[in-house]
Amino acid sequence: MTDEVLRTENLARAFGGLQAVAGVSLSLYAGKVTALVGPNGAGKTTTFNLITGNLRADSGAAQIRGKPIMGLKPWQVARLGVARSFQDLRLFTHMTVRENVLAATETASWFWQPGGGAARRAREDRAARALEATGLAALAHARAVDLAYAERKFLSMARILAAEADIWLLDEPASGLDLASRLRFGELLRGATARGVAICLIEHNLDVVTELSDRIAFLDQGKVLAEGDPQTILRDPALAAIYFGDRPQEAA
Amino acid sequence: MLFLQLLLQGIQTGALYALTAAGFALIFGATRIFHFAHGTSFTLAGYAFLFCWNGGLPGWIGTLAGIAVAMLFGLAMERLVYRPIQRHEGSFFTVFVAAFGVAVVVQNLVGMVAGRGFASVDTRLSLATEVLPDVFLAPIFWIAIAVAVVLFAALSAFLTRTHAGVALRALAQNPDLLRAYGLSSNRLSMLAFAVGSAMAAPAAILTAMTTGLNEAIGHHVMLISMAATIVGGVGSLRGAALAGLMLGVAESVALQFVDTQWAEAVSFLVLFAFIIFRPSGFFGVAQTR
Amino acid sequence: MIAYAANLATIVAIFGILAATLNFVVGFAGIFSVAHAVFFGLGAYAGAQVALHIVPDALLACVVAAVVAGGLSLCLALPALRVRGEYFVAASLGLQMMATTLFSEAKAFTGGIGGLVAIPRPTLFGMEVSVLPLALVALALILFATALLQRGAFGRTLQALRDAESAAEALGKNVAAAKTLAMLFACAGAGIAGALFALHLSFVNVESFTMDQSVLVMAMVIIGGTGTLWGPVIGAIILLSLPAGLAFVPFIPATEVGAVQQIIYGLAMTLLMIFRPAGLVGDLSKGRATA
Repeated sequence: MTDEVLRTENLARAFGGLQAVAGVSLSLYAGKVTALVGPNGAGKTTTFNLITGNLRADSGAAQIRGKPIMGLKPWQVARLGVARSFQDLRLFTHMTVRENVLAATETASWFWQPGGGAARRAREDRAARALEATGLAALAHARAVDLAYAERKFLSMARILAAEADIWLLDEPASGLDLASRLRFGELLRGATARGVAICLIEHNLDVVTELSDRIAFLDQGKVLAEGDPQTILRDPALAAIYFGDRPQEAA
Repeated sequence: MLFLQLLLQGIQTGALYALTAAGFALIFGATRIFHFAHGTSFTLAGYAFLFCWNGGLPGWIGTLAGIAVAMLFGLAMERLVYRPIQRHEGSFFTVFVAAFGVAVVVQNLVGMVAGRGFASVDTRLSLATEVLPDVFLAPIFWIAIAVAVVLFAALSAFLTRTHAGVALRALAQNPDLLRAYGLSSNRLSMLAFAVGSAMAAPAAILTAMTTGLNEAIGHHVMLISMAATIVGGVGSLRGAALAGLMLGVAESVALQFVDTQWAEAVSFLVLFAFIIFRPSGFFGVAQTR
Repeated sequence: MIAYAANLATIVAIFGILAATLNFVVGFAGIFSVAHAVFFGLGAYAGAQVALHIVPDALLACVVAAVVAGGLSLCLALPALRVRGEYFVAASLGLQMMATTLFSEAKAFTGGIGGLVAIPRPTLFGMEVSVLPLALVALALILFATALLQRGAFGRTLQALRDAESAAEALGKNVAAAKTLAMLFACAGAGIAGALFALHLSFVNVESFTMDQSVLVMAMVIIGGTGTLWGPVIGAIILLSLPAGLAFVPFIPATEVGAVQQIIYGLAMTLLMIFRPAGLVGDLSKGRATA
């Protein structure tokens, strides 16, 4: 396939007795959308947390363009070009929409950002473009906490856009969106992949998965059961049985 | 024998700390409200007892008055301060500041009404006798231990045997569950405040009989309760009680090595160390939000 | 009368610095420190020692005070990196209580309970000056710096980590560094206030650096309005004018003025939290920290 930008090898993590992730090997490619699919509790979000350094892996490795990232802190991983969204969004609730997005462009933790006025204007441009692309420009001065549901989801995407990362880890970004919003969301993703962004998407709605993804990794009980193009995976009756919970020993 | 003397004194202080801290922990566990005015319940109960005593009333009336005042104060806080705040935004800090304001007001009112400085009740119970060579104990020591033991037994019976008690414990773990079972979390929250605040009264009365009270004692009590709750592990009554006992003993035993001024600092050193190295406390799960 | 007004203005400026810097961590970073008086005290002792033993140069005293208080701000940054909310308040209270004891006992540095006395009048470039202009300039500079930081990227970073720490980290923000820096700035500012305080009174002791003082500064921030620029200064003016105002109320006995004052601000804190949690100046629509 094309250029692999992120790769995990046998990532594993247990919580108490529960093996949440049991050896996930996964690759993300520039310009491709990989969907992580699987029943609840399959370890999808945990896999994200292991990659981003929010959780420490018990074993396994991960690298970004060959650079090992295990043991890095979340902000260090972010600075290697990884942006993520959260299932519960985690917006900066008491800041305005524009401030939310501007904050995503400012990574230096020092009293001021490097680069002076020119760099500041460039960041403001980036923020403005992200707001434009997500249709939030008119709401720039509203507080995040006052937004409607779909607008919040797009604000979370706007932050990621503005961060100019080239690896996106999106945790159920399209859940609960109406059709029109979903179409716009699809455009956002296609725009990004056209620029070479590698996207990993956790998604439950299989229509969305078929519509947006180039590859599917099917996770169950902390393992990748199958990997491949959407048609093959989604037509596999064994996987469908697992996904729709027909299995007698279905765990939570 | 100094060490034994200090140890016994520490156990006495610690038993009182344990009672107060358990009340604080009960309230925090059940309602998630960091009741910073808990020390004020203690102050009010102590002074209520003091007034009754100085008015020539028998001790048991003073005791009941103390318990009633503490309970009423707790309930008033829940109704008039915490509930309205939680109805709007109710961030933890808003709650903290409001409670602190009340504590400041009450402290100064008590100072104006009852006079500033130490006040205590003289009883024969606090006269120490030599029980071992160089070890002095007053009857109050045994009373403090007995009161603590009896109250903890009663509390644990209440929490495990009665319907309301079980619900109270459940509230700490899963408020939604309660709603599903049709229990009113409002009423349980009031119950928690009533019981938790009442727990401060016996300790206040015993303190009035031993070291005495002053109008600012609430601060100290609140800080110790908070320290014990965190060191013990939030959500664990047993933890809070043990930590309270431990802090009392530590403060007292430390006197063998340092001057009295440092006694209180010892408690806060312990608290500080726990927060940095083990914020979940002895028995708690991590609560770092 | 003029001397009285000048004295009040100096004290207001000094507490304005304290309140503004405390507001910086409370209102923006959501770090609720109840130990600000500790750093005020460190600055005061450091400034006093410089004036007593080296030269009574105001600038040097302020710089040394800022360095000492800022350096020791790590004592508070450490728990701030570990815990939030109630836990951090508990840690800061613990620090405050320990520091009070330390201040009364470390006689070599603080003069113990008696404090440090006969601190010489301050000079600036060799000329003797009064503290009022220095305090006003310091307040102006600190407000200016605070405004710059609050409105710029750093303020956004602090607010972001206040609202959603994990999301801020996921966007590449080094949360630990930002919090430590914010504490450093706030505590260094408190240190400067302390040095000016020591030079102004020419006497300091532990009573000015207790928990009561921390609560008073906290009350200034709360009453004025957290997260605003001018709120804390206005809070400082109100609370410091209170005793003067009460002195003119005839039916309050002089011995009770202190208590009445505390009752008023305690009541104000409680009522504000119930009815107007954003403070007097605060704009409710801007919202507050939710720890």
